[in-house]
Amino acid sequence: MRSIRNALFQVSRQTQTSLTRTTSIVKKLTYIIIFGVTALIVLGSLRSFKSDSIFDIESFAELPVQVGGRIKPLDSVARNTLLLLSGRQKVITADGETLSPIEWFMDLTMRPEIADNYPIFKIEFPDDLGLAGLAKPGERYYSFNDLLPFSEELRRLHSEINPEPKKRSPYENQIADINEGLMRYHRVMHSLHPIGSAERLDNLDEEYQSYTLMIAPGMAELRKQQAGEPYDAARLNTFITFADDYLKLSQTAMLRVVPPPAPIDPMEDWKNIGLELLDVMKGDPLSPYVTSYASLTMSYRANDAAAFNQEASELRERFKADFPDAIGRVHFERMFNAFQPFYISMQLYVWVFLIVCISWLRWSQPLGTAAFWVIVVAFAIHTFGLLSRMYIQERYGVFVTNLYSSAVFVGWGAVLLGALIEKFYKNGIGAAMASLVGFCTLIVAHHLSMSGDTLEMMRAVLDSNFWLATHVTVITFGYSAMFLAGALALMFVIFGVFSRKFNKDTARSLSAMVYGITCFATLFSLVGTILGGIWADQSWGRFWGWDPKENGALMIVVMGAIFLHARWGGICRERGLMSLAICGNIITAWSWFGTNLLGVGLHSYGFTDSGFYWLLIFWTSQCIFIATALLPWRFWRSEFGQANYRKQRKDILTAAEGA
Amino acid sequence: MKPLFKFFSSLKLTVVLLTFSMMLIFFGTLDQVQYGIWHTQKLYFESFIAVWAYPEQAPAYNQLFWLRIPMPGGYLIGGLLFINLLAAHFTRFKMTWKKSGIFLVHFGLVLLLVSELMTDLLSKESQMPVDEGGRSNYSQSHRANELVLIDRSHPDYDSVHAIPATQLKAGKEIEVPNTPLSIRVVKYYPNAEIGRANNNATAPQSPADRGAAVKMGIFVTPQPVSYADDAINTATAYVEVLSPEGSLGTWLVSNVIDERFPPQTVQAGDQSWEIALRFQRQYYPFEVELIDFSHDKYPGTEIPYNYSSEVMVHHQDSTKNQKALIYMNHPLRYEGLTFYQASFANQDRTSIFQVVRNPGWLLPYVSVLLMGLGMCVQFGMHFFKFLGKRRQV
Repeated sequence: MRSIRNALFQVSRQTQTSLTRTTSIVKKLTYIIIFGVTALIVLGSLRSFKSDSIFDIESFAELPVQVGGRIKPLDSVARNTLLLLSGRQKVITADGETLSPIEWFMDLTMRPEIADNYPIFKIEFPDDLGLAGLAKPGERYYSFNDLLPFSEELRRLHSEINPEPKKRSPYENQIADINEGLMRYHRVMHSLHPIGSAERLDNLDEEYQSYTLMIAPGMAELRKQQAGEPYDAARLNTFITFADDYLKLSQTAMLRVVPPPAPIDPMEDWKNIGLELLDVMKGDPLSPYVTSYASLTMSYRANDAAAFNQEASELRERFKADFPDAIGRVHFERMFNAFQPFYISMQLYVWVFLIVCISWLRWSQPLGTAAFWVIVVAFAIHTFGLLSRMYIQERYGVFVTNLYSSAVFVGWGAVLLGALIEKFYKNGIGAAMASLVGFCTLIVAHHLSMSGDTLEMMRAVLDSNFWLATHVTVITFGYSAMFLAGALALMFVIFGVFSRKFNKDTARSLSAMVYGITCFATLFSLVGTILGGIWADQSWGRFWGWDPKENGALMIVVMGAIFLHARWGGICRERGLMSLAICGNIITAWSWFGTNLLGVGLHSYGFTDSGFYWLLIFWTSQCIFIATALLPWRFWRSEFGQANYRKQRKDILTAAEGA
Repeated sequence: MKPLFKFFSSLKLTVVLLTFSMMLIFFGTLDQVQYGIWHTQKLYFESFIAVWAYPEQAPAYNQLFWLRIPMPGGYLIGGLLFINLLAAHFTRFKMTWKKSGIFLVHFGLVLLLVSELMTDLLSKESQMPVDEGGRSNYSQSHRANELVLIDRSHPDYDSVHAIPATQLKAGKEIEVPNTPLSIRVVKYYPNAEIGRANNNATAPQSPADRGAAVKMGIFVTPQPVSYADDAINTATAYVEVLSPEGSLGTWLVSNVIDERFPPQTVQAGDQSWEIALRFQRQYYPFEVELIDFSHDKYPGTEIPYNYSSEVMVHHQDSTKNQKALIYMNHPLRYEGLTFYQASFANQDRTSIFQVVRNPGWLLPYVSVLLMGLGMCVQFGMHFFKFLGKRRQV
């Protein structure tokens, strides 16, 4: 008897160990696959760090330029310009070759005759322009040369549109965008030196040399002419042609690439190339930066990589010597541009969401653990991006400086809270919703970045690190929490109505999460709003001014208060509370974007046209979810819903019997 | 009595009131597009009933022009919430440590409501422009106006007799205190356009028969009042000045006919007064001297980076003299007033300060501390309870 029992016991142990062995293999395999994909996503973006060109593009990309009150690498300018014109950070030439922004910028400024053929002007609806012969079927990108024959017509159309940008129709906006794009293109092209025929560009050094030699005699002739004495007309004419040309250049050239001579005051204005050339007339020596750009252009045009690389590294060395404090930041900014941390974390959030979805179907334990760690990685990269922006802007502790960075930060906050939930509950819900909100907000940020520089300087009123770091950060974190609570509520509704597996326990834990996060959201919104009041009191003398953005923040606080009081008073049960949490999404979106659309008040810093359209879509979707949440219990397919339905019927029956 | 008490202390009422307040804030924000912040504030938040009308600029106005949404105004909601909160605390709440957080939050909220009411009722905002090197001992409103008669006969000081513009109603006769004069308001326009008639054109009839209106051929076209936040309404009036001996004539006064014009004088016997309609002034027992104003921009841009004013305050009591630097987020608090760097003019040679008297300015700070602390306590307790539960599981 005993031996049989022993034998049975052994058999069962063996099956058990073989089972654990297979599970452990599955586990290991899942971990390996997930790790591999994650590594692929992260490393994939590192490819773009080094180009395989014979030219030292990296050094060129790090040459300094003063834009928006800050010293930036040319790389950033190239990217922002391209984003404004094309809405993306690459150029695909007619031959199908892909250029990076800085490669495009080099061609634009140094080989304009080639760059004019690159299709970089994005025209969403070319047929609507009414320009016969422009639109190519299925093509949204057009080159300068494509647009050139229509320049007269475009200018005429531009003169007819509504001068008030906010009142323009989509058609008028498109006309304005093309014209402004052409203008910007032209101005950026003229940034490094005068533009002209190929011959002129090939001989820039001679031009500068003859100009500098011309100044003294030219001025002498001019003085003679003004004094009414006899003068050499030909000589004077050459001089005046130069002067006229450089005057025009000083009005056209977009970028301030010429730093003042040493010793350098960081608050001093840099000059654009035209201004520097003009100022030589006053007796200033011509800045070596100007001649260096000329040499760069000539060697690039002559395809002389050795000379180009030599000159580029010399220029960089000079910049290093002139601006020892700025060089690190400029270098870092280029690396940051190439690394694109927010783009990586966006991809990782999609990946996390996928893993979690699979985990709900199979292998829930290993996949759940893996999802948590991937979200940690994504969050770390997201955090790195935020810290990098602080370093570049020299504003430590300030996460949010404009609408773009608020979007990035809202995602970050939601992921942080979601990951914490995941750590406590370990059921995938926190990770899924964190990745969803993270992804959506980064998409929003991506679209906001189309409007140009996202690292701009703060206007004087807003320029207070303390308040930016406290009020703005806290209130934006409040948005994060509101959205996360809303997302969890959406999950409750979707699973509750459609999934059979959703039971009472899940319902209880989900509503506990929503409650906890709403508490957080209310606390942060309240504290943030009040801090804002104190800031306003410090800067304008009124604690509360009923400004749209302030009102928006207050609405979030009130929403939180409604939720909490409704719960404490037992006024709403689970699904009522979930509807309120989804309402929170509507309110938060209003506070975040809607108030900016109004275009009134002190905070209206980011007017976006298409924003209104997207806001409406978002609101409608949330209303549909609320309506779904309020469906009668009998339509709820889940165990939780059916239990409630039975209870409801029972209640009705007892009530009827009692009567 | 009991059901009434129950009604006022119920949580349902709280939720309903909060929902209404959300609605009020939302529509009160929307209407700012039309009425500007200042006027909307009066319509929605400093009122008992507010009515939102479908705006003309919105799409489908022709179909929806009749749409009106009435809702309780800020005072009504605030007042009811106040009662609701007090009633709830008297009936339902018991003082326990568990509830201490909620108590703090609610007490902070009460304080905040009170401070907001105090601000509405007591605070005064005005502006003080000072030129570099110059001094000023008054600030002026940019909305309220006053009619003044100034007696400049004394060598050391001027006597100013002021009548607020709110008193100026057509046909009304007002005695000017401490003078033998009284005025009769012929016409008053809260906003108007002032123009000069061409010599050959037939100028519109003007009731004025004295002063600048006659000399310069000025005529007035009434305009609707503008509520835009940066708009300045040109208040204008025709006033007849009466002495015991009879009418002295009718003058045109307007807040655009200011120091740039020669003063208009009223002569009665051997006494004379300057007459003017101007922005309401508030005089102080001290002078603010602007030593230097600076306006810095980020290099290579037009983005302002700093505005600051170096000032010296000269008080009649010279022990109270003070030197200060007023700049963004760093106002000067002096004698119950606060001076903020608000604006500038005149190619950066004039600095404009916002002068605010708000006796309740400290209250929000206290209430903030209470509410923040209360929430931390309350949610902290929840959170630790939650953690404890999880540990047991």
